[in-house]
Formats: sequence, C-alpha cells, structure tokens
Amino acid sequence: MTERVAPPPPADLLATVVTLCRLLRERGVAATPAESIDAARSLAVVDLFDREDVRLALRSVLVSRRDDFDAFDAAFAEVWSVAWGIPSPIPLPGPRREMIKPPTPAPPRQPAVSLQNWMKPSEAEGSDPITVRAASDNESLGARDFAQYAAEDDAAFAALARRIARRLTLRRSRRWKAARRGRRLDLRRTVRSSLRTGGDAIRLERRSRKIRRTTLVALCDLSGSMELYARFLLQFLHALQNTFARVETFAFATRLSRLTPLLRGVHYRECLRDLGREVQDFSGGTRIGASLRTFLDRHPKLVDRRTIVLVMSDGWDVGDPAVLAESLRVLHRRAGRVIWLNPLMGAADYRPDTRGMQAALPYIDVLAPGHNMDALQKLVRHLAV
Amino acid sequence: MKEEIRRVQDVMEREAYITDRQVATSVFLASALGKPLLVEGHPGVGKTEIAKVLAQVLGTELIRLQCYEGLDASTALYEWNYPRQLLHIKLGETAPGSLAEKEATLFSDAFLLKRPLLAAITHHGTPPVLLIDEVDRSDEEFEAFLLEILSDFQVTIPEMGTIRAETRPVVVLTSNRTRELSEALRRRCLYLWIDYPSFEKELRIVRTKVPGLSEQLAREITGVLQSLRRMRLSKHPGVAESLDWAAALVALHADHLDETVVRETMGCFLKDDGDFRLLEHELDAGRLAALASFAG
Repeated sequence: MTERVAPPPPADLLATVVTLCRLLRERGVAATPAESIDAARSLAVVDLFDREDVRLALRSVLVSRRDDFDAFDAAFAEVWSVAWGIPSPIPLPGPRREMIKPPTPAPPRQPAVSLQNWMKPSEAEGSDPITVRAASDNESLGARDFAQYAAEDDAAFAALARRIARRLTLRRSRRWKAARRGRRLDLRRTVRSSLRTGGDAIRLERRSRKIRRTTLVALCDLSGSMELYARFLLQFLHALQNTFARVETFAFATRLSRLTPLLRGVHYRECLRDLGREVQDFSGGTRIGASLRTFLDRHPKLVDRRTIVLVMSDGWDVGDPAVLAESLRVLHRRAGRVIWLNPLMGAADYRPDTRGMQAALPYIDVLAPGHNMDALQKLVRHLAV
Repeated sequence: MKEEIRRVQDVMEREAYITDRQVATSVFLASALGKPLLVEGHPGVGKTEIAKVLAQVLGTELIRLQCYEGLDASTALYEWNYPRQLLHIKLGETAPGSLAEKEATLFSDAFLLKRPLLAAITHHGTPPVLLIDEVDRSDEEFEAFLLEILSDFQVTIPEMGTIRAETRPVVVLTSNRTRELSEALRRRCLYLWIDYPSFEKELRIVRTKVPGLSEQLAREITGVLQSLRRMRLSKHPGVAESLDWAAALVALHADHLDETVVRETMGCFLKDDGDFRLLEHELDAGRLAALASFAG
C-alpha cells in the first residue's frame, strides 16, 4: 500500500522542507518560518521511508485549513518526487516566480463620465427623462429618476442613515463592563470594595453589557454602467458618513480610491464637486476583482470580524473572474458579513448570471437590490454581525 | 508507518474509536511536538470524541471548556468565590490583623474557583488533556486571550501573581467552522480535518459502537446514511446520527430496513423539515433499496 523509498540525507531533507514551504507560500498557502521549523521537527519523529507518513505529518503542520489540502498535496507531490529521486514531470519553480499575472494594460484614460454628468445641476436637466433599469419597479420612489434625488431629499437619506447608525451602535455584546448604572451586580468589584468597609457592601458595584462595535466598509462601483445608481448610492453613503463615525467609503472602477475624507463635508453638492476634482480616471470598464485586491493589500487592517462590507456594483466585470472570486474569498474570510448591493436586481427578471456575479456568489452573505430608497430601507435588517 | 503512529491507532481502536492514518498521525504529532491540535469537520464526525479517547489512552484527566459567545476569563480561567469571601470577612470582622493580612487570606487558593483553563495549568502529575470545544463559538476577544494562554501556559492573577504550568497539558481544540478562526490561532496549532467516514469505516464504527446489530442491518444503515450525505440536504447526518439510529433500531428489534421502520425512525438522523420531505419523497418512489444498498 505504501511506497518505501530511501530518504535523502538530512541536509537535503531540510532543503526539501524549505522548498516545499516556499512553493506553498507562492501558491497562497501561508507557511510561516515557525511552521517550517515544526515541519522539520515533525520529520524527526515519523518514518522517513514511508511517503504517506511524511505527507500526513507535513500536512498536519503546514496547512491550517481544509481548503488548502489540495494545494498542499499537489506541492508535496512535486517536491517529494524531486527530493526522493523520482523524476518529476513538473519543474520546480525558480526563486522568483510571479504568482499573480501582471494586470493587462488599463483601457485608455477617459474622463470621469458619470462624475462629470453629476456636476451638472439637476435643475437644468429636469426635462430630460432618464429610463432607469429598474423599470419593473413602479413604486413612487423606484420609478423616479435618481437625478431628482437632490438637496430636497437629503432629509430622507439622513433619516435612513440615522436608522442604520442606531442599528450599528446599539448592538449589545455578550461581554460585560463595569457601569455605574448597570442592570446587574458586579460581585467581583463589590467584594473588593467592601473590604474597605469591613465586609459591608455599602456600595454595590454594577455592570452592564458592552456595546458591540460594528464598522462599515462600503466599496462603491463608479464605472459607466453604474452611473445612474452611483449618484444615489453616494448620496446615501454621504449621509451615512455624516451620521456614523465608523464608515469607510471607497470607490472603484478600474482602480480604487478612498472617498472617506471627501464625503465628510456637510453638503452633498460640495462633496460632489470635490469628488469630481479628486476622482479623475473612472472609465467605462470595471475591474472589480483587481480593485478589491488593491483594497485588501492597501488596507489590510480595515476589515475584521466586526466589519460589514458593502459592495455596491452591478457585477459587470471586465477583469478575470478568478481574481474576483479570490479577492472576495479573502474578504469574506476576514469580514463579519459581506453584502452585495446590485441595483440591477430591481428588475424582476434579473438573474445574477454575469461571469462576475457567478464568481462572486459563493462568497456573499447577502445579495440585495440597491436601486431605490425602499431597497435601502430593507437593507437595514441585514446590517448586523 | 512509524511504529508509534500504528500504536496510537491501535490503542484508539481498542477504546472503540475507529480511526484512520491521518487522525493517528496528527494525534501522535500533537503529543510528540507538544503542540495544540485543531480539529475541524462537519458536526457529528467525532471531533470531541478524539479528546475523550486521547485522555483514556494517556490515562489522564480530561478537562473540558465549552465555548460560547461572550465566554470570558471569569468563566474560562478563574473566579473568586464571593459568597465564601463575604462570609469570611464577616466571621473575621473582630479578629485582629491588618487589612493587608486579611486581604492576603481572602485572595488565596482556598477562595479561588478554578475554571477549566486554570485547572489544566495547575494540574499535578500526568499532563491532562484540555479540550477547548467549539472554539468557533467564542468571540475574538476570547480567541486572543486563548492564544496567550496556549503560547506560554502561564496565567497572571493580579491578587496572587503568576502561575506557570508544571507540565504542559495536551490541548485539543474543535471547531464546526461557523466562523473562520484567526490566522494566528491556526498557525499555533496542528491541523486535522475529519471528513465523513468512508462506507467501510462507518460500517466498522457502527458495528463496534452498537452491539447486537445484524450484519445486514448494519450495512443498510450505513448505506442509507452514506447516500443521504450525497443528497442536497440542509443538514447532513453525521456519524453520531448513524449511531443514534442504529441504537434505535436495535431497541425496536428490527433486523432489516423497511419503509415503515424508516418512516418511524427518520427523526434519529434528519433534523430538518425539508430534509424529512425529501426522504419521504424518495421512499414514496420506492427507492429505499437503492439507498440502502449503497456501498461506497
């Protein structure tokens, strides 16, 4: 059942372990130096003549999740056959092999179509009707041209933002903290302080539930296809940004930019002007996967278990779906919840079968429409981790 | 196979834990390298059982910490025995002695309630097996705290000072993957994934754990369970469910499966209304024989 082949000498054995670790790292299976050391230690206690023993032991040490088993087994097969003198069909990688394919050159720079359009005052284009994609949704707000969401609707957005903020700030954790007017007695501190008064608990110390701190990260697609909705969604994010402190907003099309500071202004119209100035190179296509990867690389600490990630995009991705799937997988693993708002879902016959949406689906907790006010109102109940 | 690994496997099987090479290798490595073992897998595949069997194999005590959200140091590590402290203060009110002296007695071993983690650290003699069950249910604060404990096995109690483990316990963590554990915790542990068993392995488990089962019935039970795991159910039955079902059928003196007995007992292994209907549909279509004759 098991192959028995004489192992290489110890020095080569160590080199093999190091090669294996490097190969794993290149394939995205993080094998830390500490684990390489443990891997070497584990080889000292198993039967080196037995391939299966070695494989199972190294896998136990070097891999820390089920999803990485296949990657490990493949890498092991390559390294093992080389190290143990069996000709390998697959050449070992050089020390610097590019893991990620270099990005294909970006399409020629275009002016920010959508942002430029927004800069026009909406009053001037009032007579110009725009057909929204969410044509089936005939609710009073849903059928309404988003360009009409202007200053007079600030109040509606502000009210929604307040609801969301309340929901995000009032979540009680299961943990306790000392509190002057807590509902429960804190016996530990009561006993402590009663020592001072000879064991009579004159002051009853109290405790209450901690508030769970939730943060929100919004990633908004500002590519050409999102033009109609982006203005609306940005106004929503602007309202949110001004109500709730722990929001970070990013925009992407082919590249990523951080909008948080730009949205901090009180008046949306002024913010839009700044946005138009700052955010110059949004072009027709969207590279969602690459943008998400940039986000993960540049802001590795921003997303944790208490973060809700809100991706707002129609899923028309011109990039490689595999990149999108991979970035979302990482994001999903780190975040408390990933919500994808797709404005196209407002249409009754919408099916998420673009390549981008298909790649994204396994890593989304909630897929919701985000095409009108009602849709955003319904979103509130999903905003919890 | 390394002699020791085979021995681990043999000893575990003697304790009626049917195992495979991966399990035996990981368990052996955990004790040989002195590293915690993180066990993941579907519910009911015997993750917790590993720690129990390990304690029996090593002839030592099993200390279990069940995790849940909001689990904190006072439930996991230690807590002072307040009623006793209060009583002690009352009784000693008139006794001579300075406040500092009184406080020192008040915060001594006698008033300390050792919760599982502290119990494992202060354990004398053979190192115990510390089972940290369903660690994915605890929150991140606790995970960070756990990481600290697992790295040096020492605890600082402000009133008493630092307590260091005399012998390192053998640590087994289990997770049902309801949430992703932190990278740091994963890195600290050896990793073991337990899959649903193969037909042969499950048959052996059922036969070992449920005596009094006819050969035919054991095969049929295993066949049905194996088939069900290949169907789109909302909750797949684990090995624990096959054992429950087998025990129920023995109690009903069944010696083979028929439609009636399956309908009567399917609550043993299906825990979801939709799954119920799915199986009933299969039974209505007369597919019980096909399900039961599955053999890998």
